Amino acid sequence: MPTNEVIQGLGLDDYKFGFVTDSEPVFRTRPGLDAEIVRQISARKDEPEWMLKRRLKALGIYDAKPMPDWGGDLSELQETLDQTYFYVKPQEQMERSWDDVPENIKQTFERLGIPEAERKLLAGVGAQYDSEMVYHSLKEEWESKGVIFDSIEDGLRNHPELFRKHFGTVIPAADNKFAALNSAVWSGGSFVYIPPGVELETPLQAYFRVNQERLGQFERTLIIADEGSRAHYIEGCTAPVYSTDSFHSGVIEIIVNRDAFFRYTTIQNWSNNMYNLVTQRARVHRGAHMEWLDGNLGSKLTMKYPSCYLMEEGAHGEIMSIAYAGDGQHQDTGGKVIHVAPNTSSSIVSKSISKGTGRSSYRGLCKVYDGATNAKSNVECDALLINETSRTDTFPYIEIDERSASVGHEATVSKVGDEQLFYLMSRGMDEAEAMALIVRGFIEPIAKELPLEYAVELNRLIELEMEGSVG
Amino acid sequence: MSRVVTEPEKPRLAFGTGVVPRAGAVDPDWLRVRRAKAWDVYLDTPLPSTRSEEWRYTDLSRMLPLDALVPANASLAVPAMANGDGTVPEPLRRAMALDRHSAGRIVDVDGAIVAVELDESLARQGVVLKSLRQAARDGDPLVESLLATKAVPASEGKFPALNAALWTDGVFLRVPANVHLDGPIRLSRWVSHSGSATFTRILIVAENHSQVSFVDECLSPDFESPTLVNTAVELFSRAGAQIQYVSLQRMGKGGFYLANQRTLAERDSTLDTLNVALGGSVGRVDLNARLLGPGANSDMLGLYFGDHDQHFDFNTSQDHVAPHAHSDLLYKGALDDSARGVFRGIIRVHEGAQGTDAYQTNRNLILSDRAVATSLPNLEIGADDVRCSHGATVGQLDAESLFYLMSRGLNREQAERLVVLGFLGEVLSRLPLGGVTEKVTRAIEAKLGNVR
Repeated sequence: MPTNEVIQGLGLDDYKFGFVTDSEPVFRTRPGLDAEIVRQISARKDEPEWMLKRRLKALGIYDAKPMPDWGGDLSELQETLDQTYFYVKPQEQMERSWDDVPENIKQTFERLGIPEAERKLLAGVGAQYDSEMVYHSLKEEWESKGVIFDSIEDGLRNHPELFRKHFGTVIPAADNKFAALNSAVWSGGSFVYIPPGVELETPLQAYFRVNQERLGQFERTLIIADEGSRAHYIEGCTAPVYSTDSFHSGVIEIIVNRDAFFRYTTIQNWSNNMYNLVTQRARVHRGAHMEWLDGNLGSKLTMKYPSCYLMEEGAHGEIMSIAYAGDGQHQDTGGKVIHVAPNTSSSIVSKSISKGTGRSSYRGLCKVYDGATNAKSNVECDALLINETSRTDTFPYIEIDERSASVGHEATVSKVGDEQLFYLMSRGMDEAEAMALIVRGFIEPIAKELPLEYAVELNRLIELEMEGSVG
Repeated sequence: MSRVVTEPEKPRLAFGTGVVPRAGAVDPDWLRVRRAKAWDVYLDTPLPSTRSEEWRYTDLSRMLPLDALVPANASLAVPAMANGDGTVPEPLRRAMALDRHSAGRIVDVDGAIVAVELDESLARQGVVLKSLRQAARDGDPLVESLLATKAVPASEGKFPALNAALWTDGVFLRVPANVHLDGPIRLSRWVSHSGSATFTRILIVAENHSQVSFVDECLSPDFESPTLVNTAVELFSRAGAQIQYVSLQRMGKGGFYLANQRTLAERDSTLDTLNVALGGSVGRVDLNARLLGPGANSDMLGLYFGDHDQHFDFNTSQDHVAPHAHSDLLYKGALDDSARGVFRGIIRVHEGAQGTDAYQTNRNLILSDRAVATSLPNLEIGADDVRCSHGATVGQLDAESLFYLMSRGLNREQAERLVVLGFLGEVLSRLPLGGVTEKVTRAIEAKLGNVR
């Protein structure tokens, strides 16, 4: 096997999204967080009084809750947060056409390929730059069928009743410290409503870009998939590389009504100076189907466990998680499935790759409440270790209160076998190609669930990250 | 069952410092110092709460009125060694009568060793089996260097500290190099006082290439109030040695069995454990297996059958410190009525422990609507050239197996019994030790009979 020097010499982990855009925000709060800052954010958004009250209440909960002592290393987070800008407004208003977006911000998204993707394969696109959505657009075809795809602020403004009925019902502020933080300072994110029976043929996409140094981004997304509807939502995220740490803490609430199908895909590719602490949860009703496809490639530390609450008979939840932890990264990811009703089923498949000093941890919960008769759940975790210094952990929680439940968990840890490499090299591949092929094969079961372009992008990213990593 | 009323004049744990010097009255100086230090650790260590990950599912503050317990003080003076068994309570005598051949026996009543027997020829070969208290008094250097130091020291936590301060007696077993025992050594324990707290220790050292198996059986009557039995088990297998340790917990109602076990396996040694939990109201076992040398091997087996409102909690860890060691854990449990089973296990592959083979499996069978199973199999892997896997399942009796047996003429009850026994039997078949399988099978059958 090649030595570490050989690996170092290959210049790994090139992050092509690390560029900084020279843009002047129209407003930003002073660094740090207090009630005054929360009032400023709310005032900038011209919100109703009830929302400000909720924000302030959430701030109290955030202050009262201790910093988590599990998961990743959060010992330096408070220091980071003290210097963080909690709200940075990039432009005066959100635009419906790329032509109206300020040139430098537009160029950023051009470089990220968003407008092109929109033309080719998406039903609608939202683009967030620092704290606000700068662009939001939905194809006419879907708008005429009653689909709502808007920034979260416009959701509150234009659909106040629907918004208030559901906001904070899936993830209340008191759920955890960072959900409370988001509930206090949320800004940006999407509001999505799919009317009964409407089936979106192409995905909706939201793209999150952080440009400001020492920014805290707190997007908030609320999605309601009404009875018998069908849709796919994709989010992607990148940021410049700074020497200081940035912070991202989103809250995603999804309600999947009777017989609906919803898939939420994340391709998280933050730069390696980003704390990414996200709460994502779906409430799944009778006969409905929810899928989380969660790809975590970037960030310094990610703690993120998409969950499905299976509330009514026949609800189904799936979580497919892929994590890549390169040098200095810790991906603490996984999923939670909560079975409350009879004949509910769920599956979690997690694949992780740890390289260099990277650490990937699977953390998951399968809970079956008494009365959730014939609930079925299966969890599979596979971890691939590339180097001697790589690390992986598996922390599944299995809590079963129901006799007729059937629950299984399996996990394996392996390294890329010398035999596998030797075989492929005897067929004429060089080591790097052979390694990349093995890794691609390892993630294939999840990658194939992505729309073609994204699968290609994921594979390319993995290949880039794996370049010369034969160890 | 005998009913014993607690006597009010006895010192309670809440009374604090007064307890230690009395327990230590006959000890050598080093041990008195060790006890006093352990007592300080105990006072400084808070009671584990459900906020801590390892105690999340066992709420001690609710289940164990620690301050109200009366320390068993049977050994304030070291009792006379007896070869006869005049002091052995009848139910214990009956349990002992079921045992097959033993290489040695030792009997513990309320934390005092009342009888020790060892095969003559083994004694001649240098095997030492004696009261741990006596061994300390006799100045055995191994006891001073290994007791509550390397395996279960006071610093491990609240209960290890309490035990290190207050232990009344226990077992010291040393097997010299190259000596093999042809039958197991059996420890038979009895606890008689309701509301008492008994602290016992077991220290076993198997020198290079020796072999020994040890069966630790604990019985008691039903108690009116919670009664604690706390055991610290320290097992050392030197290069190439083999130790099999079996714990059979068959206490009566009200029993709170709390064991801290640590196994240290050196190069090419085998250190296997089997924990069987059938009795008591609450059973909690903390087992840490440390693989310290290449070629070390630990099979870790567990079997539990809970009914009524029994609560069993197993907290295991497999520490692969050295490369090229092997560990394999299998814990299986059946839970009936409103019993609760908790399994939390972790495989830790330390940096540099390349070539590790470590496995972990927990399977639960739920037999009633009210039973609850919790399983937390964890992995922490810090080396890349490893083979590790874990699996956990929770399910009910397999309908097809039942149908098959019933189509062969068994009634439902018989079929269920057979399936449960088969499910749990897999564990016993992995560690066949004279008489253990039969004894455990009989106890499970009795429990199955009770329920149905």
